[in-house]
Amino acid sequence: MTTKTNTISFVLDGRLVELSFAGSSTLTPTTTVLNFLRSLPHHRGVKEGCAEGDCGACTVALGELGERGEMKYRAFDSCLLFLPMLHGKQLITVENLRAPSGELHPVQRAMVDEHGSQCGFCTPGIMMTLFALYKSGGKPSRMDIADALAGNLCRCTGYRPILDAAEKVCHGDGQDHFVGTEANIAAMLKSISRASISVSTRGQRYDQPSTLEECLALLNEAPGAIVINGASDIALRVTKKFEPLSHIIDCSRIKELEVVRDDGKVLSIGAGIRLTDVMKIVRQDFPALHGMLEVFGAQQIRNTATLGGNIGTASPIGDTLPVVIAYGGSIVLQSSKGKRTVSADSFVTGYRKTERRPEELITAIELPRPSPKSHIHAYKISKRRDLDISTLSGTFRLDLDDAGTISDVLLVYGGMADRTRRATSAEKFLKGQLWSRAVVEEAQRHIDNDFAPISDVRGSAEFRRIAARNLLLKFWFETIDRG
Amino acid sequence: MTKHIPHESAELHVSGEALYVDDISASPDLLVGRVVYSPHARARIISFDLTEAKQVPGVAAILSARDIPGHNQMGPVVKDEPCLASEEVTFVGQAIFLIAAETDAQCRAAEKKIKISFEPLEPILTLDDAMARNNLLGPPRTMSRGDADSALQKSVHVIEGELRTGAAEHWYLETQSSLSIPGEGEEMMLYSSSQNPSETQALVAEVLGVQKKDVVVEVRRMGGGFGGKETQGNHVACWSALLAHATRRPVKIRLFRDDDMIMTGKRHRFLVRYKVGFDDNGKLEALKVELNSDAGAATDLSFAIMERAMLHCDNAYVVPHMHVVARVWKTNLPSNTAFRGFGGPQAIATMEHIIDRIARTLHRDPAEIRQKNFYGLTNNNVTHYGQRVEENRLHTMFEQLVKSSDYAERRRAIRAFNASNEFFKKGIALTPVKFGISFTTTFLNQAGALVNIYNDGTVLVNHGGTEMGQGLHTKIRQIAARELGVSLDRIRVNATNTSKVPNTSPTAASTGTDVNGMAVRNAIGTLKERIAESISSMFNEEKKSPTTNAVDIRFERDEIFDSKHPARRLAFADAMRMMVMRQVSLSATGYYRTPGIGWDKIKGHGTPFRYFAFGMAVSEVLVDVLTGAVTLLRTDILHDAGDSVNPAIDIGQIEGGYIQGVGWCTTEEIKWDAAGNLMTHSPDTYKIPTSKDIPLDFRVSLLKNATNPNAIHGSKTVAEPPLMLGISTWLAIKDAISAVTDHNVEPEFSLPATNEVVLLSIEKLKCHTATKASPHTIA
Ligand SMILES: Cc1cc2nc3c(=O)[nH]c(=O)nc-3n(C[C@H](O)[C@H](O)[C@H](O)COP(=O)(O)OP(=O)(O)OC[C@H]3O[C@@H](n4cnc5c(N)ncnc54)[C@H](O)[C@@H]3O)c2cc1C
Ligand code: FES
Ligand code: FES
Repeated sequence: MTTKTNTISFVLDGRLVELSFAGSSTLTPTTTVLNFLRSLPHHRGVKEGCAEGDCGACTVALGELGERGEMKYRAFDSCLLFLPMLHGKQLITVENLRAPSGELHPVQRAMVDEHGSQCGFCTPGIMMTLFALYKSGGKPSRMDIADALAGNLCRCTGYRPILDAAEKVCHGDGQDHFVGTEANIAAMLKSISRASISVSTRGQRYDQPSTLEECLALLNEAPGAIVINGASDIALRVTKKFEPLSHIIDCSRIKELEVVRDDGKVLSIGAGIRLTDVMKIVRQDFPALHGMLEVFGAQQIRNTATLGGNIGTASPIGDTLPVVIAYGGSIVLQSSKGKRTVSADSFVTGYRKTERRPEELITAIELPRPSPKSHIHAYKISKRRDLDISTLSGTFRLDLDDAGTISDVLLVYGGMADRTRRATSAEKFLKGQLWSRAVVEEAQRHIDNDFAPISDVRGSAEFRRIAARNLLLKFWFETIDRG
Repeated sequence: MTKHIPHESAELHVSGEALYVDDISASPDLLVGRVVYSPHARARIISFDLTEAKQVPGVAAILSARDIPGHNQMGPVVKDEPCLASEEVTFVGQAIFLIAAETDAQCRAAEKKIKISFEPLEPILTLDDAMARNNLLGPPRTMSRGDADSALQKSVHVIEGELRTGAAEHWYLETQSSLSIPGEGEEMMLYSSSQNPSETQALVAEVLGVQKKDVVVEVRRMGGGFGGKETQGNHVACWSALLAHATRRPVKIRLFRDDDMIMTGKRHRFLVRYKVGFDDNGKLEALKVELNSDAGAATDLSFAIMERAMLHCDNAYVVPHMHVVARVWKTNLPSNTAFRGFGGPQAIATMEHIIDRIARTLHRDPAEIRQKNFYGLTNNNVTHYGQRVEENRLHTMFEQLVKSSDYAERRRAIRAFNASNEFFKKGIALTPVKFGISFTTTFLNQAGALVNIYNDGTVLVNHGGTEMGQGLHTKIRQIAARELGVSLDRIRVNATNTSKVPNTSPTAASTGTDVNGMAVRNAIGTLKERIAESISSMFNEEKKSPTTNAVDIRFERDEIFDSKHPARRLAFADAMRMMVMRQVSLSATGYYRTPGIGWDKIKGHGTPFRYFAFGMAVSEVLVDVLTGAVTLLRTDILHDAGDSVNPAIDIGQIEGGYIQGVGWCTTEEIKWDAAGNLMTHSPDTYKIPTSKDIPLDFRVSLLKNATNPNAIHGSKTVAEPPLMLGISTWLAIKDAISAVTDHNVEPEFSLPATNEVVLLSIEKLKCHTATKASPHTIA
């Protein structure tokens, strides 16, 4: 396929838009969708509350073609989306919700009727989250609704009327004026070229390859380029630090990164699968990972973030690596020269340093199915339950033999060191012991010796130390047979 | 007429059509403004050089203190806040330079080119440090009744201790914003996100060196205020006006979230010390309280806030002997400011904390101790500052709420749960709020309105209050419709504009509807008199007998008629057309000053409040003993909104206020580092409640049959008081923690009770190192 240069195509206001960066004095490929929209005369409903994915005031919906050619709608924080990420998609803003007749959309009507807005500043974002929920079909429970809204902060209402509005209006049929134009929009989206894109503007290059091969070739040529997938981590360098990122390789359109393979023993999850979809894949057999993802950011973040990206950050407080380690997982790395697999446990080599070579891409995460007898639990400790970064996390795996002694144990912590770390001396102590409270209490002392956590804005060293100890007791309590 | 009508802007909100300052279409010559602020908590400015910065392409102006044409001052009460720092900076985030350029990126590029050198000086960053160095902002104040010292000596039980309450960020969704458009000559038009347009106008005139007549400030709506835009909305307004003045072009400033959090003031941190005496039944006998607040680097509203704290130390309880001493301390942090509750929350948290300790000391249920100490209905109902608690609803509300929340049964169930669970504990607490309504700065209790009726029968209402989401304009519209007897769709409430209604007070102290509603009613009263006069003579010109008297003219259902001779009637719109033909003025102003209040600030005695608002909440929580995580299981709130003008809006205010209070009491933690830099400068680390943090079971109701004789249409304001109901959650958490040692040991506790505070408190209990709070000498 030939690469398309300097233009992207998407649907906005029901029309196919070709956006050219070549002629523009203001748009760059790292211009966010939020800033793009607000520069237009008729899309100022979208609001900036934080420019970092933490408030949802900028929420828009993206319509994408599903596997069967149907339209799927999801909510995104437009402050974290770079313009090329719109390519091939429908961008839906609050201005599009009213029917052509001017009538309010059902979700808007419900919000008015239930008194869901006070100052109104969060409201456009909330409307877009509810729109996506409304269109997702089904009848969400109160908890599902609260969960969908956890990424939309409202400082005025106390949320109750918003939850009521959603509960009232989401019954599953998703009927609205979008239904009528869907086929038309889908056709427009289908007409958009799937070829790779390359944008070059003043001092900045942005490649969006559409195949793995092209991507690896690009990476081979420019190993210093910044790889992005969901960009939920990297975007902040633009929106918060105002860094001019000189070369970006955006993997978000590579189908090979979205492959799931399951041979019954090992589940291989494509590095580019959005966490929302990862949750569906792991719900049944990897409940600890599922549980961790439930408290990962909020829905808008999970709709964009990927497993590859989370592990790619090598952040000591990244939430998925400890869980992947506990499952005995590995990371698949690939370059144009070949493919290799590294155990997740040894992937991170230092503070934000990994085994990954600059020309390599993380292509998949492999999770061996645990034995049904293994206990694997993941815990995240954060100041606020949702949409917060871990102060610390602990993921534990325990295998007991028939006599109730510990045959294998893995205690993996995030937030306790400069990288994800295991409590090795506690593990060593535990092996071969009975899984009893007395033993656990003894092991807690070892955990103290395993770590020298720091005090920072998220919590004191003392808090981390106590919580790290307590998590083991919690694990014990949750795994003992209480008859 | 149904009262549950939606917010007047609801359709605009949900469609994204509601305009905020940043959304206003301005001309293509609009410039973007940026504020360059101090990186030091305290330092002398030695020199600076702007030459290179000014050469950055697109830059239209860079201003320093020297370029201010008027006074370099924007203190709202005391003139101790320079608009731009000139010789010394006194906190991280203090404005030093202003940049205007075509784009934000150009502003940032120019900022990097500014050369400035500082001589860092030693800052004061904590209350303890300020107190140790006696860095008072002003003289201490006291308020006294009886003889607390000798009463304490006689008390059977005396406990003392201290409580720290944390700062909090308003986190209005819309950051501080202002657009200034220069007109001809000295004229300056501002679109601001300000709770106090008249003060914005005054300060802009002052920095520009022009007069108030030259400056117009308009506020359509704010994307939240909560007190954060009562004085500090003025700052961006002054800065954008200076840049607009210098460039003769429109200039807009919208603070970046982190900058907003770093630059603006917060809720005052308090350090409270107390000594309380009580009898075996838990009856309060004497209380000494020492209130210390962290004002930050300038006065702002700190003294008024402290005054309200002093007036709310009693919360809902009779204290026969009471002595309050209050000190406001100066530190090198942004000047702290108004925040919903205005000092009330810190004082009420203290009193509720004290009651909680009394109950634990006596092994009694705190709710019982509360009830025992409530102000009486007919006697024992005078506050420590001499105001009688009239229309006391505490007892009725307590009875109703204890019943509706099933308090006693749940208390039993919790005890059983706690006895059989080691790693989870439940807690419950009932707390009341009694909140005084009026500005304690008495002259502020006034309002104006201008009502215009057009000859098509539509009505434009102007008043001095501002809309920040609280539904003020909706209520005003309802009040105007009711007074004029017309349907709502005839009435529009205009954006607040200083050229329509002058010399207004801030929309604050929960007084918005009370005073502006009255002013609108008075304006409409004038109009109705004029109209009735003319219409009755019109009826009489037709020589009907008996004649129509003006006093019998009624305005109802879009009609005007003679109540004695109902056949004589006119449609409202027709009548208005006729009024113009008959040369009757259809424009009138209205004015209102709150009667019956009087407050001697010096003596600390009088009737500062028009009335009291009451509320009560029962909250139940589940605490994870091993992680410190808290789940809100259920909250029942009963609130007194009088004859609510709009129950849907009032319930929204109650829920929102309560949740804001929960945030202040639980996850919202402000931290500065040792150099005075705000560490929690974005929502990444500053955590306000999400949709998942509200009680799983959330029941809010309004007190029935509760007409308030002291405000418009029998209503009562709601705005601030519900925030303090969040304290029930805080004490429920403490109750759960205390269950770890079967309520025998007083837990160490502070506010907010973050998961860290909870866990550390539990840890101390477990280690049995916790003793009764350490004794402190109090002055
Ligand atoms: C509001 C908000 C909330 C968040 N909450 C959480 C949370 O709860 N828990 C948590 O752990 N994180 C959280 N994050 C951080 C971030 O969202 C996650 O790390 C996310 O998983 C990153 O995925 P991404 O696809 O968006 O990564 P990107 O931003 O695209 O990339 C992240 C890093 O990984 C590298 N990378 C990406 N893809 C690949 C690849 N295929 N091969 C090699 N390297 C790659 C990039 O170069 C970059 O260094 C949050 C972020 C925000 C903004
Ligand atoms: S602006 Fe806050 S999430 Fe995008
Ligand atoms: S309505 Fe004001 S922030 Fe939600």
